[in-house]
Amino acid sequence: MHFAGIDVGSTTSKCVLVQDGEMIGSALVDMGIGTAGPERAYSEALAAAGAVPEDVACCVATGYGRSSWKGADQTISELTAHGLGNHFLFPDARTVIDIGGQDAKVIELDANGRMANFVMNDKCAAGTGRFLEVMANVLRIPIGELEVLAAQAEQAAPISSTCTVFAESEVISQLASGTPVPDVVAGICASVASRVAALAKRVGIKEQVCMSGGVAQNGGVRRALEQTLGVPIAWSSQAQLAGALGAALHACHKSH
Amino acid sequence: MSTQELLRRFHTVAAAPKSQMKKYLEAGEKVVLTAPVYTPEEIIHTMGFVPMGAWGADVPLERSKEYFPAFICSVMQSILDLGMKGVYEGASAIVIPSLCDSLKCLGQNWKYAVPSIPFVPMTYPQNRWGKVGTDFTRAGYERVIADLEKAAGAKFDPAKLSDSIKIYNAHNAVMRKVDEALARHPEITAAQRSDIFKSAFFMKKEEHTVWAEELLAALDAQEPGADKVKVMTTGILCDSPALLEIFDDLGLHIAADDVAAQSRQYRTDCNEDGDPLEALADKFSAMDHCSVLYDPDKKRPHTIVEQAKARGARGVVVVLTKFCDPEEFDYPPIKNACNQAGLAVTLVEVDRQMRNFEQARTALETFRDVLA
Repeated sequence: MHFAGIDVGSTTSKCVLVQDGEMIGSALVDMGIGTAGPERAYSEALAAAGAVPEDVACCVATGYGRSSWKGADQTISELTAHGLGNHFLFPDARTVIDIGGQDAKVIELDANGRMANFVMNDKCAAGTGRFLEVMANVLRIPIGELEVLAAQAEQAAPISSTCTVFAESEVISQLASGTPVPDVVAGICASVASRVAALAKRVGIKEQVCMSGGVAQNGGVRRALEQTLGVPIAWSSQAQLAGALGAALHACHKSH
Repeated sequence: MSTQELLRRFHTVAAAPKSQMKKYLEAGEKVVLTAPVYTPEEIIHTMGFVPMGAWGADVPLERSKEYFPAFICSVMQSILDLGMKGVYEGASAIVIPSLCDSLKCLGQNWKYAVPSIPFVPMTYPQNRWGKVGTDFTRAGYERVIADLEKAAGAKFDPAKLSDSIKIYNAHNAVMRKVDEALARHPEITAAQRSDIFKSAFFMKKEEHTVWAEELLAALDAQEPGADKVKVMTTGILCDSPALLEIFDDLGLHIAADDVAAQSRQYRTDCNEDGDPLEALADKFSAMDHCSVLYDPDKKRPHTIVEQAKARGARGVVVVLTKFCDPEEFDYPPIKNACNQAGLAVTLVEVDRQMRNFEQARTALETFRDVLA
């Protein structure tokens, strides 16, 4: 029996299928809410698992667009989903930092993986994946290259963590004054880290700390966050799927 | 009348204050607007005016930006916006207290932005205790009386103030009973609960007391509905239909509140004996546990915890009006007090311009999961 979790995010759609506590298929489509992304992610995850829709006993949707996905038997908030998904990936995790396309959240888990506390960012792009996208556009580089460039920096340039629009102006000023691009990129990563670290400290940092969501793939932000928080941060190559994984696990628990 | 019919009656008034004001004006009554918070309604009432709450509305802010910076309380901004757009036309005056910095700005801006409706300041003391505090408060009331006499041609009769005080005490008492009854009736939705409190701003208190008593009788005769997840709310306002719908969708039962526009205003009665104006000043002196009232001991967080526990609430939802610095200052001690008491607490930021409540929905849905 298969259980599906679909995470309809602001910029991407993710789907995971689980069977007997194992991930048997997944898909990630770079199209989020209001597009054909969720449908495609679901179909592709089924194909990856060699399954058909009739094999799915229960489907749980999460993410910003969870209510718009008509194929779900139930919806859960993305915080609940990321908590479950990360407990599966990192059973010792007590703090989950989830930076998505347009928001950031920090979740405290207890020893049983139950959510004990959480905090969300304000409605602001600073400290989110959207911030990195805007800055990558300003620099005319693919977002995936931010990590590589940040690793080449000699000294991170100071970039505002208060406002994306102000930060954009600062990046342009830094470039105009001749600051090397790697230093600017490192400053951008440090800016995200600074904003999210402040959020994390409101919940309280309990080790093990892990990162979830799309921005977890950016080593520049991960390293800046480790330096700011002073703790190692675990991450998985499946971090972006953690919400969908948590939704699938919830579907499985619900059905038993 | 059935409970649902009574609740619909409250909703009609709460959803259309302009119609209510029109009704009073057409009946030949004079209306005086009362801005938040703790405006001395008893004085306005005894001078023959209908006190009508002016707490703003969920409207786009356009004209008020001519006077206010962007990052200031949207309750204040929307009051000024509505005033500048003529929504309050017909009112004889507006009384604006001085209990926070934004309110002081509202009063000063109102004088120039809405000259057709006279501004009457109610200047409260920070130190409201002892003779010095009550003397200052009394002087503030005397200024309100003098300004209303000048602005609207009414006369103040100290002998009649005692009658108004009794009417307001009776209303306080019935609203406290309504609050207790609602805690026993989870089938009454968060939106309906809000309507009951909100409608009181737009009705004469003697009329609202009758409606509230009828509701109490109907609730007493009704079997409580199935249990939901009990929570307590705290903040300045919690009346947005979209936000309240989320509470109802998620099966959250507001079993108690510490909301300035709801229960917080009904806690303290006025002494019915002696000099009524002095008694009114004593009432203000006795008020406490509120973000806009000076409290060096910060007793409010403890009160919230005690009330939440007494009502069986499993968590506290802090509904924080953006840029409300008195409430923002109180949030850390409230959070700490809840944490120490083992009560879950979450923060939801709101303002009068919110159109998208998805972030609030996610926070409340997650909070429900935490409570479960």
